[in-house]
Amino acid sequence: MHEIEYRCRSVKETVAVGEALGRVLRPGDNVFLYGDLGAGKTTFIKGIARALDIDEDEITSASFVIIAEHYGRYPLYHVDLYRIAGEAEVFEIGLEEYLDGDGIAVVEWAERLKGWDSTFSVYLHVRGEEERLIKITGSSERLQGLKNG
Amino acid sequence: MLILGIDTSCDDTSAAVLEGRKILSNVVSSQVEIHKKYGGIVPELASRRHIEMIWPVVSEALDKASVTLKDIEGIAVCNGPGLIGSLLVGVCFAKATGYASKIPFIGINHLEGHILSAMLGDETPGFPFLCLVVSGGHTSLYRVDGFGQYRELGRTRDDAAGEAYDKVAKLLGLGYPGGPYIDRLAQEGDPSWVEFPRPYLHGSFDFSFSGLKTAVKNYVESLGKVDHRSVAHICASFQASVVDVLIKKTLSAARRERISNVSLSGGVAANRELRRRMKELENREGIRVFLPPRHLCTDNAAMIAIAGHHRLARGERSDITLTARAVLPV
Repeated sequence: MHEIEYRCRSVKETVAVGEALGRVLRPGDNVFLYGDLGAGKTTFIKGIARALDIDEDEITSASFVIIAEHYGRYPLYHVDLYRIAGEAEVFEIGLEEYLDGDGIAVVEWAERLKGWDSTFSVYLHVRGEEERLIKITGSSERLQGLKNG
Repeated sequence: MLILGIDTSCDDTSAAVLEGRKILSNVVSSQVEIHKKYGGIVPELASRRHIEMIWPVVSEALDKASVTLKDIEGIAVCNGPGLIGSLLVGVCFAKATGYASKIPFIGINHLEGHILSAMLGDETPGFPFLCLVVSGGHTSLYRVDGFGQYRELGRTRDDAAGEAYDKVAKLLGLGYPGGPYIDRLAQEGDPSWVEFPRPYLHGSFDFSFSGLKTAVKNYVESLGKVDHRSVAHICASFQASVVDVLIKKTLSAARRERISNVSLSGGVAANRELRRRMKELENREGIRVFLPPRHLCTDNAAMIAIAGHHRLARGERSDITLTARAVLPV
C-alpha cells in the first residue's frame, strides 16, 4: 500500500485535492474516508463531485439520508455511516449494491465498514482552523495516476 | 374529499385522514425509544418497524376519523426525500392499497408537506409567504406563491440545523434527538458565554452549520472536563448562534422579496427559542409569523395529506411506477 500526503491550508485547497482524486476515479471505484467530526470529509467530496461534473452545491451532509445518489459523468454514491450503530446494519441497508455497483461509492465514517477493500482510502487530519493534513492510500499504479493527473 | 395521508420518510410511521383541510385524525407512531440507545437512527430498524407499524397506524387513523378505506377518495404518500428503506414501506403500501381498492394515489415531496403544514393551522398565511423548513435533514427557505408554486431561496450547503443539534448533543454526552435536550439546558445557560461563529454567507440565503459544529467540538475539547454549568452555557451559546442565523436570514429574505408572511416548519420549528425569536419579529418588523402547532411542525402525515388534497383535486395522479427517492428536490 502506497501513500501520498497533502498539506492543505484552506477549505479551497481541501476541495482541490478532492477534485484531483475525482479526476482519476473510474466506475466501480470505492473511496473510504476517515476523519473526525469537522475534519472536512463532506468538503472533500464536494471536490470529487466537481471532477465528475456534479454541482458541488448538491453535496451536503448525508448523515440524515445515509446514502445520497448523484449523477454526473458517472454515478456518485455519497454514503455517510455516522448514524449507523454497528456492522450488522451496514449491509442490511443495501450498501453492497452501491459498493459493487457501476458508480463511484464514497464512504464517510468508513471505520464502521469491515471486510471491504477500497480503491483509495483518504485520511483527513485537523492541523489548524482550516489546515488539514490529507493522506491518500491506494495501489501504486492508481496512486501514480493521481500523481500524474 | 377524504384523503388518507401516509409518511414513513424517517423514524416515525404516520397516517392521517383529512377532509378538505380539516384534520379528522393524525396518528404518529414514534420510534424515538428504539433509536435512542444508538444516539441516532438505525435505518434497518426503522424500515422493519415501519413494516410492523404501517397497518396498525393506518387502521387507527381510519378509526379515529370514523371512516373506512371504502370512504377514502385519495391516498397521498411521501416518496422522498428521506431514508430510502423507510420511504419504500409507505410507497409500496400506498401503491398496493390504491391499486387493490381502486383509489387514486399520489407521491408527495416531504418538503412540500412541510411547506403546506402552515395551511393546517387555525390561521393560515395568504400567498405569497416565506417558509423556513428546519429539521434534522433540511434547512431551506422557500418563497411560496401558491399551491405547487415554490421557489427555493436558500438551503444548507453542508449540515442541516437539526443535524448540528444532534451532533453537538452527542459530543456533549446528551441524548437523542439533541434538539429538546439542548433547548432545555440552554434555558439555564448564558448565551453570550462563548462567541461561536455565525455563518451568514453574505449575499446568499444559503446556510452552513458544519463550521459551527466543529467550533463547538474544538471548544469542548479545549475545556477538557465539562461540568453541568458549562454544558448549559455551551448549549445556550450554540443555540443563540443557530437561531441568530436562522432569524437574520429569514428576515433579510422577507425584506428582499417584500413578503410580510412567514411560516416555520420542520422538527427544529418545535424549538422554544426559535419560536420565541420568530414571534418577536411580529412586533419589531411588522411581519406576520405563522407557527403551526408543534405536532404539525414535526414529521406527520396530515401535511402530506393536505399537499395530496390539492394535487389530487387538480387531477394529478401517480401510477404504479411511483418510486421512493432519498434525494428529491421540491
